Amino acid sequence: MTQRKTITVVDYGMGNLWSVISAFRFLGFSPHISSDPIEISTAENLILPGVGAFPLAMKTLRERGIDIAIKKAAENRNTRILGICLGMQLLGATSTEGGQVIGLGLIPGVVTKFNQSKNKPIKVPHVGFNLVRRPKNSRLFVNLPDMADFYFVHSYRMLAEGLDGHVATCVHGDQFAAAYENDNIFATQFHPEKSQTNGLALLQNFLR
Amino acid sequence: MLSRNFRLQRVGDFNWLKTNYVFSNISLSIDELIVLDVSRQNRDPYTFCEHLKRVSEDCFMPIAAGGGVRSIEDADRLLCSGADKIVVNSPLYSNQDLIKSLAERFGQQCIVASIDIKRDTGNDYHMWVENGGRLLENNASFWLRKISKLPVGEIYLNSMDRDGTGQGYDLDIINNLPSHLHVPIILAGGAGNSRHLAQGLADPRVDAVATAHLFNFVGDGLYQARRKLIAAGVELPIWSVWSEL
Repeated sequence: MTQRKTITVVDYGMGNLWSVISAFRFLGFSPHISSDPIEISTAENLILPGVGAFPLAMKTLRERGIDIAIKKAAENRNTRILGICLGMQLLGATSTEGGQVIGLGLIPGVVTKFNQSKNKPIKVPHVGFNLVRRPKNSRLFVNLPDMADFYFVHSYRMLAEGLDGHVATCVHGDQFAAAYENDNIFATQFHPEKSQTNGLALLQNFLR
Repeated sequence: MLSRNFRLQRVGDFNWLKTNYVFSNISLSIDELIVLDVSRQNRDPYTFCEHLKRVSEDCFMPIAAGGGVRSIEDADRLLCSGADKIVVNSPLYSNQDLIKSLAERFGQQCIVASIDIKRDTGNDYHMWVENGGRLLENNASFWLRKISKLPVGEIYLNSMDRDGTGQGYDLDIINNLPSHLHVPIILAGGAGNSRHLAQGLADPRVDAVATAHLFNFVGDGLYQARRKLIAAGVELPIWSVWSEL
């Protein structure tokens, strides 16, 4: 049965939309793919996926007028936005990937590369399932345990310190923000569409 | 397809899998899925991608796909059909520039080097390419040293001797790898039960174990195998059962 909520997945040419769309379909929704700024600015539930480099993604969003559309959608309290992986980083204030690049600024977080610690070297990119500690009051993590496994693939991450809102954390070398939610802005550094039932539950919660 | 010592045996196509097994249930017992096009002639990448799309439609874990990847376009097609990683075999030997271009374009984490190794009569190991049809000169250690310098994200090490036998992994094939390797190792070829999976994972050089054995598909074989591994203290990711949600 198709549920009535509408989901708009932003297509800006970066990232594997098929998996995200399959996950929403599995949950009984009919997601809609769009690169049209007007559709994006008036969406009910907006998904910003993404795999790749931050500077190129921001440039593409700007060239297509999608950056402004997403900001407009965010001001509209009826729109819920979920950034996934690079999508989460793009919602942040800045990233050090390829210099100092300004993001969409919907999350007051700074994105930097993993620090290599001298004592215990870590593998970068951070790839695979890893445990995420959920925040106490969270919409995304309803019915999920305090610690749950999610699938990550990334070399840059948003620091958890100084973030307002509800922040889930993960440790790879040091601690970083694995998920974020505040008001109508949601984000996950991990891929819920690749995280088995834990991820499906999270996507279900986002739409609840 | 099932293979035994690299001889293929047709089991059934994707529709067969859907009809006979609820693959979306089986898939809940694995951390990652590897889908390979093992066609030896008349490879049809478009049909393969259609199948991959259908498999990935109700599987929500990372998927590595390959078989016949010879260009950026081949890789891109797989990545747009639900794959997260690309498995390469023959180009590791015949076209190392392609490996570099793939890594530049999609990132090193995206490339899985699949290596088929066979013990020779003299107890040394050799690498085979082109669907196990061509023996490479120089021994396996020589090639693995070369391959470990390529920008690959993981190494999938398969024993052709044990492939499909269910007699357990050949842990000795790992000795062919250079020491101080920073790339995760997936051990393959020979698992026939959960004990074999545990033996593979107990080796500190092994990061993951792969299996394509029929026991995965019989009853709740794979579900039970995963349960046993977790009970034995192997640190595997845990996810809730869908019905609990």
